[in-house]
This record gives sequence, structure tokens and C-alpha cells, in this order.
Amino acid sequence: MTTYQFFTTAWTWNFIAIALSAIASIAYLLGFGQRGRPVYFAAAIGLFLLSFISPFSALANGYLFSAHMVQHIVLVLIIPALFWLSLPRSFSLGPPLTYLTRPLIGWAAGVGAMWLWHAPALCNAAATSSAVSALQSASLLFMGSLFWWQVLAPRNEQRLSPPAGIAYLFTACPACSVLGIILTFAPVSICPVYQHPVDRLGILETIRGNWGLTSDRDQQIGGLLMWIPMCAIYLAAILAQLARWHSSPQLEQSNA
Amino acid sequence: MNGTTTITMFRDAVLDPAKRAHYRLAWLSTVDHKRIAVLYLVTALVFFVIGGVEALFMRLQLAVPNNHLLQPDTFNALFTMHGTTMLFFVAMPALFGLVNYFLPLQIGARDMAFPRLNAFGFWCVPLGGILLHFSMLAGGAPAVGWFAYTPLSEMPYSSLPGTDYWAIALFVTGTGSISFAINTVATVISRRAPGMTMRRLPLFTWINFVNAFIILAALPILNAALAMLLVDRQLAGHFFLPLGGGSPILWQHIFWAFGHPEVYILALPAFGIISEIIPVFSRKPIFGYEFVAGSSVAIAVLSMSVWAHHMFTVGMGRTLDTFFVIASMLISIPTGVKVLNWSATMFGGRIHFKVPMLYAIAFLLQFLVAGLTGISHASAALDWQTKNSYFLVAHFHFVAVGAIVFAILGAVQYWFPKMSGRMMSEPLGRWTFWLMVIGFNMTFIIQHFLGLLGMPRRVYTYPDLPHWGWMNMLSTIGVFFMSAASLVLVWNILVSFFRGKPAGDNPWNAWTLEWATTSPPPHENFIALPLIRSRRPLWDLANPDRPDPVVGENSDAVTLPDHNKVGILSFIFSEVGFFGVLILAYLYFYAHPQPGPSGKELELGRTLVFSACLFASSFTFWRAEIALHLKRHALMLGWLGLTVVLGAVFLVGQVTEYWKLFQSGVEVGTNVFATAFFTLTGFHGLHVFIGLVVLSIFLWLAWRREVGAGRGTSSAFAAAGYYWHFVDVVWVFVLLTVYILPLLR
Repeated sequence: MTTYQFFTTAWTWNFIAIALSAIASIAYLLGFGQRGRPVYFAAAIGLFLLSFISPFSALANGYLFSAHMVQHIVLVLIIPALFWLSLPRSFSLGPPLTYLTRPLIGWAAGVGAMWLWHAPALCNAAATSSAVSALQSASLLFMGSLFWWQVLAPRNEQRLSPPAGIAYLFTACPACSVLGIILTFAPVSICPVYQHPVDRLGILETIRGNWGLTSDRDQQIGGLLMWIPMCAIYLAAILAQLARWHSSPQLEQSNA
Repeated sequence: MNGTTTITMFRDAVLDPAKRAHYRLAWLSTVDHKRIAVLYLVTALVFFVIGGVEALFMRLQLAVPNNHLLQPDTFNALFTMHGTTMLFFVAMPALFGLVNYFLPLQIGARDMAFPRLNAFGFWCVPLGGILLHFSMLAGGAPAVGWFAYTPLSEMPYSSLPGTDYWAIALFVTGTGSISFAINTVATVISRRAPGMTMRRLPLFTWINFVNAFIILAALPILNAALAMLLVDRQLAGHFFLPLGGGSPILWQHIFWAFGHPEVYILALPAFGIISEIIPVFSRKPIFGYEFVAGSSVAIAVLSMSVWAHHMFTVGMGRTLDTFFVIASMLISIPTGVKVLNWSATMFGGRIHFKVPMLYAIAFLLQFLVAGLTGISHASAALDWQTKNSYFLVAHFHFVAVGAIVFAILGAVQYWFPKMSGRMMSEPLGRWTFWLMVIGFNMTFIIQHFLGLLGMPRRVYTYPDLPHWGWMNMLSTIGVFFMSAASLVLVWNILVSFFRGKPAGDNPWNAWTLEWATTSPPPHENFIALPLIRSRRPLWDLANPDRPDPVVGENSDAVTLPDHNKVGILSFIFSEVGFFGVLILAYLYFYAHPQPGPSGKELELGRTLVFSACLFASSFTFWRAEIALHLKRHALMLGWLGLTVVLGAVFLVGQVTEYWKLFQSGVEVGTNVFATAFFTLTGFHGLHVFIGLVVLSIFLWLAWRREVGAGRGTSSAFAAAGYYWHFVDVVWVFVLLTVYILPLLR
């Protein structure tokens, strides 16, 4: 299969993902209607669909560790962030969930989402069993949501103060970078499934040959994605915190 | 200049017996941040002369082709000493001195948060510098470059003690730098005057506050690397020796993980200086304060993740190169933002071309060149061609001298009136400035072309190839201009100190708080502070009819967390980096197993028992704190005593483990596993031991009923607790990596 053929044919009509997207969209429209910011929500749904029905998900699903890593980052860091941003300002969480909105829990969830699912056994299981994979996706979205709640919660008073938010993000960056460094330099495969993929689609030759992605290089790219671009996401969030801090109301000049 | 008057004044100020009694020990035992700052600056000046003479000899050797003025080994030693001295004993102390003097003044503080720690941090610098230079008498100076690449710096290739002195000297100053950074963070967070909210901080203070975090993150990485190198050299370890399964490339990774942030540790304070000088001499507020402040944070984060661009020529592979090319190019964005802000501040301003401003303008132009050649090096393909040439030497000297030294010289001229009460001579200052501009550019512009013509760096001499001779000669002539500039500078400082025009409180009509007090400031810094509502309180004071807009809430309210807590958390943040490196190194060698003992042979059961004691000691400490809070003295003594006992039991456990390993013939030098194991657990054990000493002191104080009684003792007790809990948490990670991980295979 050539690259062109692959990108035109490898779309998987993942019924569950499409159904979930439809239900979520209807729920959003019924619940918040015009009060929220639907553009963010549409972007979140779009990315969600892309990560489960596009050829990219076929790659992530047992072929390429690096593609899996992109999916991982999108699910933990991008979709939950867009989701919180899409909600109306009046939104708040109900009692059972408020226990989960402590900063330490949010931080541990965000960083733990990265570490937990890259334990070799779990990573392998998620790449081979679709049930584990679904569990993984759900848990990543959930943990990512807990992480972002601290800085992107709809109401200002539910968020960390900007300086605390900066510290929260600033420390998350090295905590994930360390894992990225380990993945990049590990001499053994962290997720052995990706070393010898089952070639369901007949694309393996193109990947290894035309794209030049050997399994070593594949894992390296995966590690580097977690090491560097992920920190860039945290950095963007840090800059947003700074902007929020400095844009809080400036009073008119005093007569003191 | 009337010589006799100068001598008379010198005698009055320094040799008058009545005054001497005060001076004799006052400067050695001082904990006043202003005096410590002056000590920092004088130390930097002394080492500047030493490092400069070293450079002068190198340039003399390189002035003509096939020169034999210096032996190759001497050249290597000079080149190592010059780099190390200029970075660690000139640039850092000079900048730390300026921060030490002006950061507390700018926020209206009476002193740094920890005055004694401040003195400790300073005295680490001369101690380190003397250790480094003492190596010359103790068998030969280090000759391994300021980066000390392994395996060259290992025992088989550099057997003289110079390299050990180098490593210990840097460890000592590195420790001083970390304590300085802890102090800076705690001072900014806990010592601000009423009204000085974090958003109203002057840019010099803000940027150095951010910079302190880079120091806390980066210097412990260097310290870990130095510790590992010393283990290799002194205890026959294998970390960086390929023969025993070690990895020389690992040294490069760890060293540059420190080394690249180090560039910003030096550059950010320079940015802070320029952000003060340009507005004052353009008579305008800084353009885009928020952008200058925010881009500093961006630089701090990015600087941690671009180090591998120093290693493109190592052969890390195309994948790694690509990522680091992109990340390195990203860092030019926040730096570019700053340059635009400074330019926009000058645009349309009434520019006063006083000496500090001249330095700032030269800084802008030279830093621009440095930045552009820096971006060119971010491209791996170009880097392969130019990295090992004089093009790179020209690049980093444009950063280190053209930007950083120029900023320091500008700052000296700008703040000298505040420190001494007298203006520095403007004509002499212009002489220094122009000699420096001519000399610096003559020396280093031509080196770009030398590099592009193919002249390699780190060579003691070169063949007589076309153009190389006159270019090198020109470069050497430039050094004499810079030397002349330095002499004029020292003369200017001396003359101005004794005979300069009295400065008054605010000679430049500047707007930040250091100019609100007398020159020099009284011991307690301020008699009274003006109202602080904006970033330019002195502007508001002078222009009550058109003050700056109020920043944030119109109130005096500032939240000042306990300085002990801030200090110990900063310390713990730095320790995370230290242990992080040791754990990662352990993991690296775990993944590359060597013949001989391995983690599988460790006894898990016994270790778990002793670990349980250590973890239990965290619990007992917590109970002791509660008992203290409830004022139940005997109970508190009991819990605290139990904590000490449990910690000691853990240590005994570790000693038994070591003893058994020694008995079975496993020592530090046995194989790379043993090296990594003993280093990691040994440093943890050392931390437990220090924790026990601290807790024992508190136990003794508690016995005398002095804990919780006096001011600050309960917060100091809580800080000791943070440290103790941290040591336990580190053990969780050590336990997982060293003892549990092998079971999962």
C-alpha cells in the first residue's frame, strides 16, 4: 500500500467514537446552547474524531509509537483544555467531583497520565486489546480534565491564582520531560508491540522503507514529542497565565 | 588629580586608627547585603584581572603563526582557567553582586531574607576561586577545557590533581550560587515593602527573580555531574569511562543540561540591567513591561530543553537533531521580543547619551550580532561546519563580552553613585567605553571570518595559511585596547571613589526605589518609603498631578509568605534536580547492564524493613509538630526523639548493607552498577545524616524549651520538617528504581 492509498483508505468508521461525539454535541447544545463558546467545543470534537477515525488512529493502533504519542498528547493536553474553554462562565462541578479539584490531585493526574500508561505492560495491553485501549482513552481524557481544571476552570475563582498556576505548569514540564528523556534514550523498546507490528493493513513496508521510520527511530520520536513539544504546550499555558495576571483590572489613576 | 589629597583621603578612610577598628573585621564578618554585594563586585574585579591576563597570554601566543611563546600544555591550562574564571568567578559574582545590592533596595526591603546564608554564598566564591588557582601550585592547573569533556578529564588521561581542584572549586561556587538563588527567591516573595506587589516589581528585580529559578534548576545538575566525575577520579568509578561500561556522552548531556541554562543565568541579569538603563536615559517608561517580563519566563522554560544543540557534532542522529534545531530556534522569539521592546523604548524618547546609555546601545547592537550567529548555530547542518571553528568562539564572546560584560560595565557606571555616594567620571567613562568598543570588536568580529576560513578553535598554534596571520594579529591588537579600557576603568573607580562629584540621592532622575534613599544607603536602607502604586514610585512622587496608572488594586496589601517556608521549598526544588540526575544516570546504566554485580543481588527484605523505619519517621515528625502546636512539651520531645532514632536506624541499616557488599567484594569501582548504586544511595544517606543533625539540634532546643517560644523557631522547625519529608520521598524513588525495578524484569 502506498502512502497515498493509505491516507485515502485507512479511515475507520469507529461507531463508538462517532456516537459519543454526536451525543456529546447534542448534550452541549441542549445544556449550554449559545452561552458557551461552541468554537472550542467543535475543535475538541473535531480532534477527538480525528484521533479515532483518521488514518492517524490506524497508525497509533499498533504501528507507530510516535503516532500513539501524538494521540496521547492530544487526549491528555489538548481536548480537555478545549473542553473547559468551551464551557460557559457559569459552569461549576457538582459535589462528588469537587473532591477531585485539589491542585495536588490535578497535578498528579496530569503527570500520572503520562507515566502510568507508558509502563511497558500497560502500553502493550493498550496497543493490543481494544477494551484496554478504550479504557486508556477514557482515563486520559479524564485525567487531562482534572489537570486543566486548575488553570482553565470556567469561573475565575475556581482556578489557581496566576502565580500558583505558573508554578503548577512549570513543575509539570520537567516531570513529563524526564519521561520523554527516558523514552528517547532507552536502549530497549518501552512498548514492544510497536517493534514488530502485526501488518493488518499492509502498510508496514511503506512505513519502514519510504518513511524511514525504523522501530528505534519511532520510539525516539515518541520520546522527543513528550520531551519538547509537550513542554511547549505547558509554556503556552504559562504565557496565558501571565497574560491573565497582567490583564486583571487596572484602576484609574488615584489622587493619593 | 592631586595625588597627595587622594592619599590623605585614603588614609582618613582606611588607615585612621579610630575608623580602622571598625573596618578591620567588619568587612569580613558582615551580613549586610550592601557590603556583601561590594565584596562580590571586588572579588569579580580581581578575578577579571586574572582571567584577562590569561586571555592576553593566549592571544599573544596566537598573534603569529607557528608561535612557541607558550607550550601546548600551558596553552590548554590557560584556556581552561580563562573560561572557568570568567564564567564562574567574574560574570556570576559580578551579576550576583549587583543583584545583592539593588534587588532588596528596589523592593524596599531592609536586607535579603537570609543575611547569614548570603554571607555563606559569597564566601563560597573566593574559596572556589582560590581552590581553582591553588591547583597551579599543587601540580598543575586543569587543562581539560571549561566543559571538561570525558574521558579526557578522567584519571587515565588527566592524572594530575588540577582537574580535581577544578571540580571541587566549581562544586563550592555552585553551592554558593544555589544559596544565593534561594535567598533571592525568598527575598522577593517574603520581603517586599507595603504596596510592592509582584506585578509592580521593577524589571531588574523581576528578571532576577525568574533567573533564580533557572539557577535552582541548573546548578544542581552541574553539582551532580561534578560529584560523579569526582567519584570516577577519586574512587575509581566508571560513570564516564567507556572501558568499564560508562558513557562519555552522558557527561556531555548532563554538563550541557546545566551549560545551556548557564548562558541564560548570565544573560538574564544583563537583560534586567538593560531594562533599567534604557528607560531612564530615554526618559520614557519601558515599552511593553508585560512582554519583557513574560518573555523572561519563556526563556527560563525553553532554556531547559535546548541543551542538545551543543551536541550536534556528537552524532546523536537526525531525529534528535531535528527536534533540538526547532526548539533552539524557538528561543530566539522571546529574546527577539526583548530587543524590540528596548528599541521601542528608545524610539521617540529624549535620549541622554551618558555612559550607561552608551553601554546599553552597544549592548543592543552587539547582542543582535550574537543572536544572529546564535540562530545560525541552531541549524544542525551549519553547526557541523562551524562548531569547531573560531566562528563559534566569536559567537559566544559576543554573548559573554559584547552583551554580558557591556551590561555589567553599564550597570557599574549607573549604580556606582548609589554605592559610593559619588559620581563616576563621565570623561574617563567615555574613554573606557570607546576603548572597549574598539578593542572588543577588533578582537572578535574578525574571528567570525577566521572561523569561516577554517581556523579550528582550541588549538595552541596554527600554520601560516593565507590571511590567517594578519587576522590573528588584528585580533590580538584588539586585546590591548580592552586591557587599556580595563586600566582606565580601575583608575576611574579609584579616583571617583575618593574624589568624584557628590551624587545626591537620585543623580539620573530614575524612578525605582533604590534612588529614594541616600547614597550610599544607611545600614537599614530606608528611613521612609514613598507610596508604591505603580512600577515607577519616584515618578509618581515627582509628578503628583500626572502619576502612572495604578497597577492592580489600589492598596498597600501584599501577601508575604513565611520566608523559612519559601527558602526550604526553593532548596528542595534544587535538590530534586540533583537527585533527578543521579537517578536518571542509575537508570541509564541499569538499561545497559555490565558483567558483575547488579541490582538483583541486593537484599530487598532487609531494605524494606529499614525503609519502613524511615517512612515511619516522617509520621512521627508530623506527630511532633502537632504536639508542638498543642504545646504538649513532653509528648513533642518523645515524638521528635523517636524520629531521630528511626532515622538513625535507617542509617545503620544502610551501613550494614554497605558492609555486606564490601565483604562480598562489591566496591565503588567494581562495575558501573556499583558506581551508580553507591553514589545514589550514598548521597541519599548523606542527606539523611544532615537531616539527623538538624533534627538533633531541634531536639536539644526543644529540651531547653526554645522551640516554638521565640520568633520564627516554629517556622524553622516546620522548614526542617519539609526537608525531612523530602529526604523520605527521595527514598521512595530510590527504592523503586534500585530495589523494586529489577524484580519486574
